[in-house]
Amino acid sequence: MNILEVYNLKKYFATQKAVDDISLEIPKGCIFGLLGPNGAGKTTLIRMITGIFYPDAGEIILKGKKFDPENDAKYIGYMPEERGLYKKMKIGEQALYLAQLKGLTRSDAMYKIKDWFRRFEMESWWNKKVEDLSKGMGQKLQFVITVLHEPDLIILDEPFSGLDPVNSNLIKDEIYRLAKNGATIIFSTHRMEQVEEICDKIVLVNKGKKILDGSVHSVKQDFKENLFGIQLEKVPDIINSSSFEAIKTNKQELIVKIKEGHNPNDVLGYFIKEGINIVSFKEILPSMSDIFIRLVEGTPSARQFQEIDAK
Amino acid sequence: MNKILLIIQREYLTRVRKRTFIIGTILFPVLYLLLIFGTGYIAGRNKQDLKVGIIDKSGYFTEQLVANVNREDTANKLILIKTSEEEFKNEYDSLGYTGYVVIPENTDWKKGLDSLELNTNQTFGAGATNPLEKKLNKIWGEIKNDKLGIDTVKKNILAKSNINLQTKNIKNKDADAVAATWIGYICGFLMYLILLLYGSQVMMGVTEEKTSRIAEVVVSSVKPFQLMLGKIIGIGMVALTQFLIWIACIFLIYNIGKLSGSDESTMAVAVGNVQKVFTSVHIFTVVGCFIFYLLAGFFFYSSLYAAIGSAINEDMREAQSLSFPITMLIIFSIALMTPAISNPSSPIAVWTSIIPFSSPIVMMARVPFGVPNTVPWWQLGLSMALLIAGFIFTTWFAGRIYRIGILMYGKKPSWKEMIKWAFRKQ
Repeated sequence: MNILEVYNLKKYFATQKAVDDISLEIPKGCIFGLLGPNGAGKTTLIRMITGIFYPDAGEIILKGKKFDPENDAKYIGYMPEERGLYKKMKIGEQALYLAQLKGLTRSDAMYKIKDWFRRFEMESWWNKKVEDLSKGMGQKLQFVITVLHEPDLIILDEPFSGLDPVNSNLIKDEIYRLAKNGATIIFSTHRMEQVEEICDKIVLVNKGKKILDGSVHSVKQDFKENLFGIQLEKVPDIINSSSFEAIKTNKQELIVKIKEGHNPNDVLGYFIKEGINIVSFKEILPSMSDIFIRLVEGTPSARQFQEIDAK
Repeated sequence: MNKILLIIQREYLTRVRKRTFIIGTILFPVLYLLLIFGTGYIAGRNKQDLKVGIIDKSGYFTEQLVANVNREDTANKLILIKTSEEEFKNEYDSLGYTGYVVIPENTDWKKGLDSLELNTNQTFGAGATNPLEKKLNKIWGEIKNDKLGIDTVKKNILAKSNINLQTKNIKNKDADAVAATWIGYICGFLMYLILLLYGSQVMMGVTEEKTSRIAEVVVSSVKPFQLMLGKIIGIGMVALTQFLIWIACIFLIYNIGKLSGSDESTMAVAVGNVQKVFTSVHIFTVVGCFIFYLLAGFFFYSSLYAAIGSAINEDMREAQSLSFPITMLIIFSIALMTPAISNPSSPIAVWTSIIPFSSPIVMMARVPFGVPNTVPWWQLGLSMALLIAGFIFTTWFAGRIYRIGILMYGKKPSWKEMIKWAFRKQ
């Protein structure tokens, strides 16, 4: 079952087509990566999903029903890229206030805040102000506030920026735990190594359009270049085979590209026939980062302004 | 709806609990009184005592006459000088005189003295030599009375020839124009201060939410319009609380004074005066109207301030240039208050107290003169209805700008662009 479905969503600003006809489906319990270069339209897309912006056209279906920003706010937890909290307000009161705005009752909110603060070792923070916190501490607090009301859909915009590895792992573990408990997480980022590690499914947007959609595994399969790494006891100086070509030698490891119509057995067979001992053999899949760069490459790094006449 | 209440509660409580609110509420009336009495005191202290020599070449001025006027006002002295003008000219400064006046030789009492010159080495402001002028006139008057043979009895008869025209409102016997003028001024100024101070508080509050990026977190839970409305109402309640505390203090002091002041002390006199004021201006009408105009006027202006607050970024100079037209409207209203008080039934007073932008201040200056005598019911009703319509419009207008501005970073928009945002199809 899909928790969120988006069909033909459009949002045009005066000088840009920020989101131009994007459709996507996010299954329940999935950790979903929303990728794209700066200015691709990720934030605008998220703002429409969170009800901050009205789409110019298109449809948003949340939990099988048409999205109603006013009443569905409680199902969504959103952590924007630019963190925002009241600087002068006490942390406990602030968490309580924001949880109540999401529709929690006061006592319910209080109970949950206490629970989360205990788990994140933040109990001593209650009467402190946000301005007393370091950047990383503020980040942690923002995360707690985002997920406090146990939303079904959690949208995190660059959740790890500014966090040290310990706190990064703490939040990563929480993300896994929340997903295991049935929450769906949309994860907007351009840090590809995190995407590979965490996400089940990704969508890549560029210039307001969706250019890639699928699971991390299938995307990698689609973009593989038939590269294999083979470790040999001794790398021969001359390799002459019709089934593959050596691309690069790295000490004992040889990277080979298998030609169309051949398979790994041909490579292994060649070295066996030559009498060279094979230590290991593995397929080299492209990293998400390579795929990202390959797809986005060639488009200008910054979006250009354009005139949009029709509204 | 429940969420707006939460926002109002937060805005109200965080402000009322602040030390600045408590101090401001107590300190403001104290400072205000200090300002009034302090400036009066300083002005009184600052007066320069003049010592002026009179060189009388005409022979009209006698020691007796000069001594008589000196007895009445001891601060400024006139002294008849026997030495010649040339001699005195050189030595007056060293003798401690401010200057000297020469009465010409050919002075004729029938023709009169049009002007005399005070020869001095100092420069005086317009009012500084008034007591001196008064003294000289008095002496001159005595001289003429003497020449005409008018004695004290006749003089007293002449003194009673002045007619003092007093207005008496025959419909409302209690009406007291002096008290109304004072209360009108106080109401107008208080309104002006509250609109400006709390209006800019709304603006700064909105800007703070925008620059600290909390706005994006909050508007994912509530509509931007709810956030704006909650803030405006919350801060409006703070202003109302402050005003009600002041009113309560006045009643408290008044009642304590009434209890303790049974004898003929100055306190009792003061209480009597206050009582007269209270009965003459229908204090409940004034307070009721004040609360209405405070809230309605506040909503009218503060929603515009909120729109500006949403459009600007961290730079406070941007706020100044954008809020200038709004601030001008308030200052213009206070400028209109003075003519409205001096003639509360003039067409300019009537119309500016009906037009929404100036009505909170000008109408509050007029109301103490009496409803429905000075301000007919239809005027008050029309003014209130238009102000309500006015703030509904400004809130709607501001809400449209706010919704876009609160999430827009970068260049500061101009008023023209903001108006375009407001009327754009969204």
